[in-house]
Amino acid sequence: MTEGESRGATAAAPACEGRPPILTTHGLSKEFGTLRAVDGLDMEVCKGDVFGFLGPNGAGKTTVIRLVLGLIHPTSGHAQVAGHRVPGERKAALRHVGGFVDDPTFYPLMSARRNLRLLGSMTGRVSEERIDEVLEIVGLSDRAGSRVGGFSHGMKQRLGIAQALLHAPELIVLDEPTSGLDPRGMKDVRELIRELGRAGTTVFLSSHLLHEVEQVCNRAIIIDRGRVTVQGPVSDLRPKGLAVKVLTDDQGRAAETARSAFGPGAVSEDDGYLIVKAGDDVPELVRRLVADDLDVRAVVPATDQGLEDFFLELTAPDESQERPPAKARGLARLSRRLPGGRRS
Amino acid sequence: MIPADVPLGPPAPSANEPAIGTGDRRHGSTRAPMAGRAWGPLRREWMKLLFTRRTYVIWAGLLAIPFMITIALELADSPPGPGEGPEFLSRVLDNGMYVPLASLAALLPFFLPLAAIMVASYMLAGEAELGTLRIVLLRPVDRGAMLLAKWVTAVSYLFVGLLIVVAGGLVFGAVFFGLEPMVTLSGSTVSLAEGTGLILLTALFALAAMTCMISLALLFSALTDSSLTALIATVVLYIVVQLLVSFSYFDWLAPYVFPTYFNDYVNLFRDPIAWRPIGKAVLVFGLWSAGLTTTAWLLFRRRDVLS
Repeated sequence: MTEGESRGATAAAPACEGRPPILTTHGLSKEFGTLRAVDGLDMEVCKGDVFGFLGPNGAGKTTVIRLVLGLIHPTSGHAQVAGHRVPGERKAALRHVGGFVDDPTFYPLMSARRNLRLLGSMTGRVSEERIDEVLEIVGLSDRAGSRVGGFSHGMKQRLGIAQALLHAPELIVLDEPTSGLDPRGMKDVRELIRELGRAGTTVFLSSHLLHEVEQVCNRAIIIDRGRVTVQGPVSDLRPKGLAVKVLTDDQGRAAETARSAFGPGAVSEDDGYLIVKAGDDVPELVRRLVADDLDVRAVVPATDQGLEDFFLELTAPDESQERPPAKARGLARLSRRLPGGRRS
Repeated sequence: MIPADVPLGPPAPSANEPAIGTGDRRHGSTRAPMAGRAWGPLRREWMKLLFTRRTYVIWAGLLAIPFMITIALELADSPPGPGEGPEFLSRVLDNGMYVPLASLAALLPFFLPLAAIMVASYMLAGEAELGTLRIVLLRPVDRGAMLLAKWVTAVSYLFVGLLIVVAGGLVFGAVFFGLEPMVTLSGSTVSLAEGTGLILLTALFALAAMTCMISLALLFSALTDSSLTALIATVVLYIVVQLLVSFSYFDWLAPYVFPTYFNDYVNLFRDPIAWRPIGKAVLVFGLWSAGLTTTAWLLFRRRDVLS
């Protein structure tokens, strides 16, 4: 049983359903001194996927991308990109890949067009018409002749996407592509990613914006501390137990009733409602509430218990094993001393 | 952001085009690599160099040396005596042909190595610092070819710099002191054409010497993500070696380190030319340069790019 399953994940093992995998990792590990940043990662991205790559800060997302793209060498394991083993066949693999890692960076004294011409020439022949096209796609046509040094962060992000698209690669790897963009820009980029997916291009999207992954991706993986927590279709990445929102005339008593029936971990509060993970036993929950002489005013599905909740649930620190860092302990102490601070 | 009439990829190929790799030919990434494989990386490195301000600052600095020598001697009350200042300086007032030679002699011990180090130390570490190294290495480029292209670019850049010194020196020398047949160190006279040839050979010798500095700086550049660190490390090592061989205790070391041979170009100005020490010096430069560049390649090919 995987860690994800033990915490209630519904995601099944990866399955390409007849589509060939375009990016796989096999026991991929990377150590930096004593730190194991990536720990035996097995991942499968199928051709045509818009694949979300999620994880909290420090989970090893960027390290995985660097490993997959051959920027760093694995301690053990390997990746397979478009049929080519990385490392080893890095050059051949990168012919099928476009993208960027971290913030895209360019030669500041060159124009956007010249940067694209220079980078494009490293992959193969690139026509001026194609450069015009990608600049138009990312909305930088009118700044094609401007020096990149004067570009804002958002414009550099757009140019990063443009250079990734230059050779219309089979696989596009984007590391937080909407970071630094205004809402309009974010919307445009997400629309572009969806368009690429519809056109058959595989997109590997690393993001910390969970709703972004929910909006544009069909499959996703969540990693934590360098290990796969869960992967599968985004629609499956929901807490396993069906949760309902409950409103009664006495929420305190209702909470006690629900806890006695489903356990303390199954009950929480949100905006005046009780959130009860009752699974298939919602009728039983209602019966017990009524039996306790409570007026049940509303029982509605907690549909917003989505990827974000699932992500937080999966990546929550395991308190039984880990002592919180000193800074966090200090903050907790401070919190207890503040007016209204929690005293545990 | 996505106009309806703009395709996301190049147009689909005809049906009889063979499929390459795992993808279909809609994807431009499967196209044949660009023609002129050898020139492509060099052209790109030169392009990067030409779009860097320090490129022109270093060239301007190199041009300033013959200009300053000329002006300083023109304004001096008395000419420098034999042995004063760089080699050939005392002859400049009589013959402008010695301006480029005196300039090269003045540059060789420190300024020229510094220029070489500045260019080469930026080649990899500067790109890592800027963040462009990772975006370049996301393209299907060979790390070894890239390193070699950077080495050749740095050498050719310095060659242009040396041509600037020689051309500038000849122009300033002609304008201020006139150009006359040169007198060699053996006392014989050589024509203007032969003299110019000897000056160019001196520049080439200086370039051969500088390949060692370029390789050393490139090695440090492959080790770090900071161009300043690479520059300082190379300069410090160079100064330490210079200091060491200046002590008689380390005389045994002198034949093995390349700075020992920097001044062997003077053998070009003997009649007949003493080719043997020149050849030995060039051989030492070549061995050091090859060894250092190979080491840089061995390190760079396995280096994790984390910048």
